[in-house]
Amino acid sequence: MFLISEFRSKDALVVALLALKKAGLTPNDLAIFSEEPIEFRKGILDRPSHMSKAAVAGAVCLGTAATSFVYYAQHNYEIVTGGMPIFSFWATGIITYEMTMLGAIFATFFWFLWESGLIRKRDPAAPVPNIGPASMSLRVRCETGRADTFVEILRAAGCIKTERVK
Amino acid sequence: MAEHPELLPYGIIREDLFRPLSRAGRKWWFTVAVCFLLVLAGLAAWGVQLRDGLGVTGLNRPVFWGLYIVDFVFWIGISHAGTLISAILRLTDAAWRKPVTRAAEAITLFALMIGGLFPIIHLGRAWFFYWLIPYPNARLMWPNFRSPLVWDLTAIVTYVTGSAIYLYLPLIPDMAQLGAHNKPWRRKLYRALSLGWTGSDREWHALEMAMKLNAVIILAVAISVHTVVAWDFSMSIAPTWHSSIFGPYFVVGAIFSGIGALIIVMATLRHTLHLENYLIKRHFDNMSKLMLTMSLLWFYFTMSEHITIWYGNEPKEMAVFGQRTRGDYAFWFWTMVVVNFVIPVILLGIKKLRSIKTAVIASVGVLIGMWLERYLIVIPTLVTPRLASATSFYSPSWVELMITVATFAAMIMLYLLFARLFPIIAVWEYKPHSPEEED
Repeated sequence: MFLISEFRSKDALVVALLALKKAGLTPNDLAIFSEEPIEFRKGILDRPSHMSKAAVAGAVCLGTAATSFVYYAQHNYEIVTGGMPIFSFWATGIITYEMTMLGAIFATFFWFLWESGLIRKRDPAAPVPNIGPASMSLRVRCETGRADTFVEILRAAGCIKTERVK
Repeated sequence: MAEHPELLPYGIIREDLFRPLSRAGRKWWFTVAVCFLLVLAGLAAWGVQLRDGLGVTGLNRPVFWGLYIVDFVFWIGISHAGTLISAILRLTDAAWRKPVTRAAEAITLFALMIGGLFPIIHLGRAWFFYWLIPYPNARLMWPNFRSPLVWDLTAIVTYVTGSAIYLYLPLIPDMAQLGAHNKPWRRKLYRALSLGWTGSDREWHALEMAMKLNAVIILAVAISVHTVVAWDFSMSIAPTWHSSIFGPYFVVGAIFSGIGALIIVMATLRHTLHLENYLIKRHFDNMSKLMLTMSLLWFYFTMSEHITIWYGNEPKEMAVFGQRTRGDYAFWFWTMVVVNFVIPVILLGIKKLRSIKTAVIASVGVLIGMWLERYLIVIPTLVTPRLASATSFYSPSWVELMITVATFAAMIMLYLLFARLFPIIAVWEYKPHSPEEED
């Protein structure tokens, strides 16, 4: 089941998050909804990201693919170059550079869609709370049997209201 | 005028910034209609060129590059307003950037769309544009990857893609909010574009991460794009073009003209959309300081470029130098120096004179000056004869002038339409906070 609780202050939310984690919940069981980004110090609700690695991988892949493509395309039909090399890294460098950057751009964008859950809903059945300006909602996934304990923790932390959703 | 707009309640901020989307005054419709007619006239002029060939332009041997290439370089330069400035401000976490970034990013996208059209218009037979796309022809020959034209294609495609994504990403949360209440067709549009954004911390975290990464990448791309545009010139062994500082010189000029365009857009939006509480004097003051810095840098590069030509005393280079500084183009050259350097230094350098009005005046001058700079780079070199028999002149025809005017109209029209469809200031970034946080 899910508990949806509303908070008006970030400090209260931090207290709730720490207490819930102490009670045995993992960051995967917790989700905060707000109309603006909320920043926490490290260790409160960490969301490890592999986006920068994905960007580097995308850059390397497209950069290498584009350079190889130019190499093979130029060797496919060897035009008369007057003694100049058929393939030159100097002249291809710009294409390599731009395509490397394009690879990083695409990889970042697709990784954003993936990691944010916009194209891969982690839990499609999970309720999404309605959030108003200046309010924050905390969604907690828990076993039905322990719901009362968590409701107590949320109230003690300073939440305004809590709703149970099955 | 609000001294600290960030202290306004969130509800008021949201209402103020979403209001322009639901109302359009007569002035808006009139301006869009006039711009649309001018765009149609430009398309008609292009139609004439497509039907009759490049003979309808002022291009002639040996002036094969004319107004279209000038416009191409100018618009690609303007495109540096947005993404580059926005990325620098975002990476340095300059809090005052918040009302400025989206307006700047939109300039980039539209300027690139317009600038990217010019090489195609310049081709004459525009329908053969696809020859640039890397695929083999019937004789299994591929495009010449050594050609700066192919470099341009890859650079501009990368920049357009990156800029579109960079503009789109921070729009997602705003569109999700707009999807909740609006006319049915707008609701559908915003909901589709916001991809089911819920405002969860995972989404915010991924968005901030993507924005930071994109800002780094787009900075590198933006610098490379105008460098590649500069290399279109400096890779040819033509007098005054074959210069090693052309890359950075073009980048500096691009940022300079970009800031000018941004100040004009900011002032226009402030006036027409009644954003006086959000685009305040502090923003114009900071932008003016940036423009002043770029003006000094531009002058330094122009000096370096010309003093080395003068000192080298190469006859072919001196012929172009003479044309620019005391020949047929002298009036335009010195006008360029006045509007790009003298006026900004006086209006923006003297604190008492610095205001929104003077920033706009200086910016209009800078745009004119930077367009003239592109003209003075392209035309005098080609016009100046390298063979005694090859005397020539260049005067743009009505077709070229009409197409140029139409691109300015297209820019205004696209911008006005964008400002009616999407909030021009990122609402979620403009959350209420204390002035201390701003510092």
